Amino acid sequence: MKNKILGTRKRSGMMQSLSCTILLCILSISSNLFAQTASNTQQTIKGVVYDENSQPIPGATVIVKGTSKGTATDFDGNYELTITEPDAVLEFSYIGYKTMELPISGQTIIDATMELDVESLKEVVVVGYGTQLKRDVTGATSTVKAEEIVKRPIVQVEQALQGTASGVVVTQNSGQPGQGMSVRIRGANSITGNNEPLYVIDGNIGGNITGLNPNDIESMEILKDASATAIYGSRGANGVVLITTKMGNSGKMQVNFNTWLSKASIPKHLDLMNAYDFATVVNTTNVSTGGSPAFTEEDLTYFQEWGGTDWHKELEQKPLIQNYDLNISGGSPEMRYRVSYNHLDQPGLIVNQYFKKDIFRTNLDLKAGERIDLKINLSALQNKGRNNSYQGDLTDPFSQANIWDPTSPVRNPETGQYIKNSTYGSTGFNPVAQANGQLEDTSSRSINGTGVLVYRITDDLTFTTNNTYNMGSGYNQAFRGLDTDEGNTNGVRATVYSNKSWSFQNSNFLTYKKSIGVHDITLMGLYEQYKYENEWVRANSNNLSTPSLGYYNLGLGASQQTTSGYTSDALQSYMVRVNYAYKNKYLLTSSVRVDGSSHLTDKYSIFPSIALGWNISEENFLKDSEILTTLKLRASYGETGNQAVGAYSTIPRIQTGGPYFYDGVTPSVTTPLGPPVSSDLKWEITKQTDIGLDMAFFYGRLNLAVDVYNKNITDLLYNYQAPFYLGGDSYQRNLGALNNKGLDFSISGNPIDGDAFSWSTNFTMSFNRNKVKDLGGLDNIQVNNIGSAQSGTTYLKVGRPLGEFYGYKFLGTWKSSEAAEAAEYGMQPGDAKYEDVNGDNVYNTDDLMVIGNGSPDFSFGFINDLKYQNFTLSFMFQGTSGNEIYSQTMAYLWGGQGQAKTPTTQEALNMWTPENETNNPAFSNTGKNFINSSRYVYDASYIKLKNISLAYDLPKGLLDKFGLNNMQIYISGQNVFTITDYPGYDPEVNNAQNALTQGLEMGVIPNPRTYTVGFRLGF
Amino acid sequence: MKIKYLKQLPLILLLVMSSCQDLEEDPKADLTPGTYFQSQSDLDGAVASMYEKLARDGAWGFTSRMTSYFGSDDLTTDPGLNKADMRDFDRLSGSDGNASLRAQWEGPWKAIYQANNVLDNYEQVNSTEELKLQSAGQAYFMRGMCYYYLVRTFGELPIITTEIDVNDRPPRESISKVYDQIVSDLNMAIETLPPSFEGEPGKADQIAAKAMLSDVYLTMAGWPLNDEPKYALSAKLAKEVMDTGEFSLMGDYLSVFTTNNNSESIFALQYNVDAGLPQRSFGSSAVPLEEEALNGMTGWDDYYSEINFFLNAPDCKRTDDTFYTTFKLLQKPENTFDLVPWDSPRTRVQHPYYKKFRAGLGGDGVNETDTEIISMNPSTNKTLEIIRYPQVLLNYAEASTMSSGGPSSESYAAINQVRSRAGLDDLTTGLSREQFRDSVVYERAYEFAGEFGIRWFDIVRLQLLPQIISERAVENENALSPIAVSDPANYYLAPIPDNEMSRNPEWQQNPGY
Repeated sequence: MKNKILGTRKRSGMMQSLSCTILLCILSISSNLFAQTASNTQQTIKGVVYDENSQPIPGATVIVKGTSKGTATDFDGNYELTITEPDAVLEFSYIGYKTMELPISGQTIIDATMELDVESLKEVVVVGYGTQLKRDVTGATSTVKAEEIVKRPIVQVEQALQGTASGVVVTQNSGQPGQGMSVRIRGANSITGNNEPLYVIDGNIGGNITGLNPNDIESMEILKDASATAIYGSRGANGVVLITTKMGNSGKMQVNFNTWLSKASIPKHLDLMNAYDFATVVNTTNVSTGGSPAFTEEDLTYFQEWGGTDWHKELEQKPLIQNYDLNISGGSPEMRYRVSYNHLDQPGLIVNQYFKKDIFRTNLDLKAGERIDLKINLSALQNKGRNNSYQGDLTDPFSQANIWDPTSPVRNPETGQYIKNSTYGSTGFNPVAQANGQLEDTSSRSINGTGVLVYRITDDLTFTTNNTYNMGSGYNQAFRGLDTDEGNTNGVRATVYSNKSWSFQNSNFLTYKKSIGVHDITLMGLYEQYKYENEWVRANSNNLSTPSLGYYNLGLGASQQTTSGYTSDALQSYMVRVNYAYKNKYLLTSSVRVDGSSHLTDKYSIFPSIALGWNISEENFLKDSEILTTLKLRASYGETGNQAVGAYSTIPRIQTGGPYFYDGVTPSVTTPLGPPVSSDLKWEITKQTDIGLDMAFFYGRLNLAVDVYNKNITDLLYNYQAPFYLGGDSYQRNLGALNNKGLDFSISGNPIDGDAFSWSTNFTMSFNRNKVKDLGGLDNIQVNNIGSAQSGTTYLKVGRPLGEFYGYKFLGTWKSSEAAEAAEYGMQPGDAKYEDVNGDNVYNTDDLMVIGNGSPDFSFGFINDLKYQNFTLSFMFQGTSGNEIYSQTMAYLWGGQGQAKTPTTQEALNMWTPENETNNPAFSNTGKNFINSSRYVYDASYIKLKNISLAYDLPKGLLDKFGLNNMQIYISGQNVFTITDYPGYDPEVNNAQNALTQGLEMGVIPNPRTYTVGFRLGF
Repeated sequence: MKIKYLKQLPLILLLVMSSCQDLEEDPKADLTPGTYFQSQSDLDGAVASMYEKLARDGAWGFTSRMTSYFGSDDLTTDPGLNKADMRDFDRLSGSDGNASLRAQWEGPWKAIYQANNVLDNYEQVNSTEELKLQSAGQAYFMRGMCYYYLVRTFGELPIITTEIDVNDRPPRESISKVYDQIVSDLNMAIETLPPSFEGEPGKADQIAAKAMLSDVYLTMAGWPLNDEPKYALSAKLAKEVMDTGEFSLMGDYLSVFTTNNNSESIFALQYNVDAGLPQRSFGSSAVPLEEEALNGMTGWDDYYSEINFFLNAPDCKRTDDTFYTTFKLLQKPENTFDLVPWDSPRTRVQHPYYKKFRAGLGGDGVNETDTEIISMNPSTNKTLEIIRYPQVLLNYAEASTMSSGGPSSESYAAINQVRSRAGLDDLTTGLSREQFRDSVVYERAYEFAGEFGIRWFDIVRLQLLPQIISERAVENENALSPIAVSDPANYYLAPIPDNEMSRNPEWQQNPGY
């Protein structure tokens, strides 16, 4: 039987034979499984399957009805089947077409012409615990499809959301490989809690998106309003991204190979002084503060000849990033498969930094029985990073390179050893030595398996159980040798951290779906449970007797310390949901979820939602309109939670501290009392109202969607720093309320859709405004800020938006004509002048005022695809407007702050002098140089050409010649240019770890400009 | 068929629902009050925490612990660079937003929080009464000492002696109430502590508590309480310490600063660089910017002496040991050192620096000879001396005199013991009560020059700012705030850090800030 089929195939290349072999093996296995009997009478049937335009359909499924026997059509729509029963009926099916049946009735050649299934063409969207026709969706959602994702060389899944969906603001906060994406759906909900959306991967809630190959994604559905997200209850407040991974299509095996190579570099450099200029400025500042010049004329002449060290040039590199993706898919009506492998190798923009990732995934879809479907998705991830998590601080090499002394060489020319410290510039450690000398090696592995069983109990009632088991482990090794700050001052040291975790999610739901006349109703009931455990151990070894073994032998340390820990989480939930549609016009969705969590004292909370939709275009007065083909009004209300309470947050704990030494030598264990706890901690609750309008003109040639929303967040969770008489550590408490209002807008379409030339476009825009409503009786809270300088720039204030900076308003310099007034402040001309808000002739914290805001007025994305014959030009602009950055990086360039002793910026050549009274303050011992001043606040609005690519698809004739399905070659550029007034590195990067630190920037590595070549090959 | 399938449904549901999650938390790796404070070793861990919290960086581990004491004449800092935090207080124009000032507030409070934890729980531990009381005694000492530093630095304080509710915001109590608490705590410490802990010099013992309380009484006799009867109590306790015979002055003044737990150390915080607990005021912190060692490390230039404070020093070996007056400037690429006097135009700020804070423990800070600096390090294992024996001697000399009509021979003997080690002749006899007091204060200034707040607290309790201001050089010192020069009264106290003020909206900031 096997030989016969193989033998009759004419066009079979090797791959085809292979695919058939696999297919047949599987078929024969499933045949055995389902105990089909075969008689000996065999007959060969062949034919061609055509579409409505009489074009052959490749990959259509042909099966013998009532059996598992079947095949798929080849490229030219041909099929061939061996049957044993002459009166069998053939069933033809293909996605988007109506399934048709043709009796064999003794014929040996049966051609089929299939008919389009209009109903199935109506878009189906994933809504969580099920799917829905787009027409029936009542929530505010956006979709990002695979085609959009593969257009760019994406290394992190979040990048696919940037600029593509309204209401979603994605910023790449840092140019470090493997790091730095922040995704905000409709603004920040939580002050200090996590604001990242919840990712649900094939039903696995809170799935790990770093373990996902962007090329494996079929679609991403972004749930924005509370009616859509309330089904995820206590985890839904930040919005939800539902990710569906790709499944093989039944048909012959397809192999796709995609690769791209990118050359990356830092697109902008700050204007820093050379050695000569720097030395003259040091001399000037020394004299102006009452000292003597540090550099002699001889030195200066030498510096002029030499030029000095360009620390950035020494530290940076222009890496080649490589990405490879191979996937194989195919299947039969009973079993579809897709296997993929992805490898990414991404070196960083500075030396000794990289991120590498390998992802393997197998998705299997089995028709296990007439009423049972099984889906098994397995994925394995391994990633490795080195020094790719610099936190963005003054002590980072990248920051130090801005403030290091250009008169110092990198290495001592005599000995070849690194110069470790320098007298001027920075008190910090040689950044090139530090970056090369430190090792922060991280690696993690995880295996994730999702199994879904769908059991159609009756035609209307379906039981689904979705189970995910995840095992993860991490192994991080750190080493600080003599060429690092820590190793140099405190001795060579190494640390190893290891953890293992597992989690299990079990979701079970019953769905009842029934149409009775004009009433369509769907009822769903869910029980879900989740459990997570993590155990870790950390070993520190200090003062190693030799640095030669790095972090491989901690036993060499003179002093060693081991710590370990355990965390566990559990969640148990119940949910019911009803969807009701009357005449397809009036839609209702309502759900109630009850979440029980181990983290809280009051375990259970309830999250309700309701949404109404009106398909106005179904009404008689619009039904026949050829222009406005879709018009839908939606309104919803729902409550969701933010689970930003860590495990054990309500249990007072004794900590394990570093040892103390009563004789300076013998360690004694310390077990300090930890921070206080709030005994009545609650979830942060978001109550959101949304009104939206969807419009489509000319059958989708032009689409418009607008949503307005109002979110009230109460019981705000805040990591509040206790007064020091309560220990001074932070603890979680509920505090006050916050309001977010906003508007999401998107317009998309295909304005030109010709045979030779077509243009599709998508423009999205998001507005969000927020305001602190209440702080539990306090008027304001000063927030601990970024970096070691703790500049204290951010306050939470009732009635004010989040993300405002507070500081002194910089008014330039005191001029010679103002000497008398300056003296009242104990200052002299050339010193910095600030706004004295209360007029008491002293600059102190009473004079702090709002000096900027880090959240944008609006952000936007604009995507275009222009197609001309086999060429496709795609470009995407993305930007924000109205936001400001408080840049500590820029502040330190002026010296006199933190570790920065003297200025390095070229602007220092234009400091105030009696002859040239500029607004750049001179160095003096009477001046005040506040780091939290409007002097370092800049407009950070920007427009970026995020991506531009030109792709060429090989014409069909050529493809056929090589036996290929498709081949595309493309070149592209990312972050090609930026239009902005911001003088720092990159207006997109900042240290935003939460809503309060948005717009605060300190030494973050900017996003690279990359140029990419790639190709996609399928056969 | 339908029925058959339906029959299976309850089975499936049963299977699923039966595995209900347990939502009770069990933090297996964390100690909780329920599982802790059962044995003496549990209590020991809580006691050691008080010391560790106080000793570390961000508390008393770095020069920032004396930020607001830079108003004193024994401390000043660079006119430029990144030293604005200390410089502002040097100019008597510090403010509540000063980031370094926070160490002075945070360190002691963190230790008090841990001390209260010990005192709330020590009784329930299964141990001997003696050991339990020894633990409690150390907590009393620590709490009393920390309040003593806080009250002298910031004035009025909330008095918290037990665990309080997380939402409590206690008011600031009067300075005299705070001193009552300090006296009570230190008396409890004296009652419960053993005279010494053998082999554990870092533990506060009874003698340390007596020496500390003697110092407290001396301060209470001055500003702002001006409770003069306390002089006698101070003298009495100092005498008790002297009479134990446990302590003696080191023969070589400089060796006090290069050895740990020596014969004159009464109470000190202990450090260990290897274990991540470094002391960072010795070594680089005290070295001028322009000095570089052969190991490539350069000075941090954090603190040094005002010029006139140095010029007014008595001519003696102690002065030579205290001040660093010949700079060693590394010449590259020859790697030789030029020796340059402190007032040479080749030095950056033409000030003398401190020599006694350079070496650290046996040279783990600065390792140098007279002609070259071999290595330099900002992290040392040197103890932070809180009370040295000469302080007890000088406290006794002053208190015994002030509590009577004039200095006794014992008063003279005490101060002369210090002077003799310093390389000075005996103090002129026949001094009046006030003359003698001033001599002690002068002696104290140079015996403890640059040490943790000792000179500043003398300036505060004796209200010496007008005198300090007038004696300060006009040239080549950081310019004083004109407001402070016209009336320095507000600048004896530091402002409470602004972040703590915002957490306590009912509090009033100290006047002048």
